[in-house]
Amino acid sequence: MRNVVREQRLARGLSQAALGDALGVSRQTVNSIETGRYMPSLPLAIALARFFSKTVEEVFDVND
Amino acid sequence: MSTTDKKVSPATRWAVPGVAAVIGVAYLVTGLVGDDVAFGVFGLVLMLGAGGAFVLAARWSETAAGLRDRTDERINEIDRSASLAAGMVVLLAVLVMFMVEIAQGEDGSPYSQLGALGALSYVVSLTWLRFRR
Repeated sequence: MRNVVREQRLARGLSQAALGDALGVSRQTVNSIETGRYMPSLPLAIALARFFSKTVEEVFDVND
Repeated sequence: MSTTDKKVSPATRWAVPGVAAVIGVAYLVTGLVGDDVAFGVFGLVLMLGAGGAFVLAARWSETAAGLRDRTDERINEIDRSASLAAGMVVLLAVLVMFMVEIAQGEDGSPYSQLGALGALSYVVSLTWLRFRR
């Protein structure tokens, strides 16, 4: 499933580590989500969407 | 879920090194009871060293840190998968050794009991989780 986490993070000038700190996960986990290797849980997906002031569907492409 | 407002209790952070220390003490007691002090001391030092190495590794390794504070869901999932893989390898080894024992004309002990324990643990866990989730 594709997502726009990297684009949203870069648009805010955040590093992967900074985003990870904000969400309470590791930099590696942010990287894995961005590259599509790891599918976050629903709570973490919601937390990500809320962090970017987006809906989950806007962050994660459910049609992909 | 992982959130920054989630506090990590000292019990969680010290669980792994604590268990390592307890196992080390158990080795020591076992060695003393079995009149093999060298085994006991070596076991204690080894387990304390392993626990200490884990605590030190958590300072520079995100994976070790995640295993220590348990707040990263991906690391927790990796830990579960790795534990499952390790358990399957042990069960497979038990089954192979059981068959080797039987083929040699033995009664299969203790591998038959270990295999039964594994199977029973699986059924109990399955039943428990089935009603909880």
